[in-house]
Amino acid sequence: MNSKISKLLGMMVVFTLALASCAPKTPAPKVGETYKIGFAPAITGGGASLGDPEHQTGKMLAEQLNASGGVTGPDGVMHPVEIVIYDTESNPDASVSAVRKMIEEDKVQIVVAGTTSGVSMAIVPIATEAEVPYISMASAGAIVKDPATSEVRKWVFKTAQDNYASAKWQAEYITAMGWTSVCHIYQNSGYGNDTFKQAGVAFGEAGITIAYSAAYESAATEFPELAEIGTSGCEAVVVGAIPPASSTVSVAIREQYPDMPIIHGHGTCNQDHIDLMSAEVAEGMVSPCGKVMVGATLPDSDPQKAVVMQYADDYAAFTGKPVNTFGGHGWDALMLAVNALTSLPDGLDLQAQRAAIRDHLEGSVKGWPGISGVYNLSPEDHFSLDYKSLVFVKVEDGKWVYYPPESWK
Amino acid sequence: MKLFSKENPWRSLRLPVIALALILVILVLGGQKNFGTVQYAQFILDGLRGGAIYAMIAMGFVIVYNVTGVINFAQGAFVMLGAMLAVTFYEIEMPLPIALRLILSVILSIGVTTIIGLLVERLTIHPARFSSPLTLIIITVGVFISLQGIALLVWGPNAHIYPSFTTLGMADKVFRVNGVVIKAQGFWIWGVTALVLLLLAFFFEKTLLGKAMRACAINRRAARLVGIRFDRMSMLAFGMASALGALGGIIVAPLLRPSFDIGLNLGLKGFVAAIIGGLVSPLGAVLGGLLLGLLENVTAGVTKSGMRDIYAFTLLILTLLFRPHGLLGAQKTAVESGEESQP
Repeated sequence: MNSKISKLLGMMVVFTLALASCAPKTPAPKVGETYKIGFAPAITGGGASLGDPEHQTGKMLAEQLNASGGVTGPDGVMHPVEIVIYDTESNPDASVSAVRKMIEEDKVQIVVAGTTSGVSMAIVPIATEAEVPYISMASAGAIVKDPATSEVRKWVFKTAQDNYASAKWQAEYITAMGWTSVCHIYQNSGYGNDTFKQAGVAFGEAGITIAYSAAYESAATEFPELAEIGTSGCEAVVVGAIPPASSTVSVAIREQYPDMPIIHGHGTCNQDHIDLMSAEVAEGMVSPCGKVMVGATLPDSDPQKAVVMQYADDYAAFTGKPVNTFGGHGWDALMLAVNALTSLPDGLDLQAQRAAIRDHLEGSVKGWPGISGVYNLSPEDHFSLDYKSLVFVKVEDGKWVYYPPESWK
Repeated sequence: MKLFSKENPWRSLRLPVIALALILVILVLGGQKNFGTVQYAQFILDGLRGGAIYAMIAMGFVIVYNVTGVINFAQGAFVMLGAMLAVTFYEIEMPLPIALRLILSVILSIGVTTIIGLLVERLTIHPARFSSPLTLIIITVGVFISLQGIALLVWGPNAHIYPSFTTLGMADKVFRVNGVVIKAQGFWIWGVTALVLLLLAFFFEKTLLGKAMRACAINRRAARLVGIRFDRMSMLAFGMASALGALGGIIVAPLLRPSFDIGLNLGLKGFVAAIIGGLVSPLGAVLGGLLLGLLENVTAGVTKSGMRDIYAFTLLILTLLFRPHGLLGAQKTAVESGEESQP
């Protein structure tokens, strides 16, 4: 038995040596130290339905980086890249300890973490104090800009549009349709409450009245709050929720008010949202979404079309599932990090590398097409995508299709 | 049952007065929002539908509590397992008509959940059967958390879909009567709950096994003295409770989008319903469930529905404060003390 194995091993060694000697003798690029990206999406917990596509995207990029051998610096030195994955558990405490671990034990060059805004806000002080560049995949504006002092947070960047961007699209659509009074029904969660707050701002600017608003519980099976939609006389219903809660409430609204137009926010932009209420019910519902949802139907002139289509294909091949905007936020954050790593010359110490990455993100990302939009980062703006980076979409035959303002009327 | 106690006339008047005041408050609040009969009818119908689900879950709590003296907080996990297993079996591609696949998924799901319920009893409750009820309750909480964790590993975080029983599609058949919307699934829920209640009444009143279980509930020691095997009854109770939980999860599945975490909310509401009903009989559980569903839906409807859970748990606290024996419970339950429970 033993001798058999050693024989086999011996043969394998000989075979490998033979292969190696046959390989063409090009000078291999000099290989430098391994760069590490600390990556923590919400793999479990309340944000998991958004964190899962981010996680899948991270695994996919790790595989691609492995296959290509890593990134090449400006001096031609090749560096393997390792994506160190942790779970935020959608929980600020767990996230903070995971990020501390990345920074202190794994000695990562950059942190990409936080699927939801609450978790990201908890990571902000950790990254700032340790002077590590940090890219969040969550939406709240406060992540990159202190709302109290209006100061841009030096070490923090983000890749997801906030609810104000979404509300602005909704307001444009409502105005274009000639409606002046709407109802706002939102999920009783951080996201839902923020959609309502931002709708108040954006709708107010556009002169749209919110005739009635109500929050509902995510797990509800009865929706008594819908009764007042009928008595308040509003012309359309805006829903602020993420699947599955966005789907259950939409079905209930459709049942009670078959002709009431329903407008969703950009938290619904995945296929689940449609599948969970059936194509038949979802037909005609509209929402602002990231371009990745409608990649194929974008005009060819769109600067993001190529990158969006490539990502959609890769994601579908890697996971077997259709792409969604949340994975896109993850892709943007990780690719911003990877591109920043290519700017590093060999031989810097860790602290200098971290500072150089931050400077690269702030100073050199100009007109970079990502999945969520074309980034123009600057010292004044660590996010840079405005509401026009979203597109308006509509459900037709169970699929999201591009629904530009020209075709609204 | 001492509903009309002689010492204090206020005691007998208290419930009707509170009920009247509540109805008045509801009408005033609803009046401010221009609610008419249509809206109230909608609240009541929807509330009774949700209440029937709570009732189904509450019956599981009552059966286990009566036989073993344990509040089984794993009940919510059985509800979740019922729904998730039904979804899983339904999603298996089989060359069968959809209706048959649905029926098969219901049967398989109840069967598997029952087996899990029996295993839970054997592996966690039975070995600790000589511990205090508090220990056992904590064990059931642990079982709940473990089952939910396993469900997350097995099914992932995403929500799933289960078709409505009538249309076999995602969009349910809806009846409109003078502006009031009634979902066809509601009739399934009411029907199944009524049927289960009747079957349980028959089981506990007419069969030897049912009577043996009741005997354990009334006085465990005496039951053992006449030769009733308590540990068998405990196992049976868990088996029945998990089957009922699974059935509850299955009939509500088309209304929500089942995911690994639906058990907590439904389990807690079922617990509240069981407490309101008095933790003594399936009938009490059903009344408690319907009352809870009705009150939380109407109060949420006339105020803010984000506060629905607050109303439900306020009702729990009020029940425990003012009527700890619940709607149908005796003033003093003597089960634990081993005395005769009838006054």
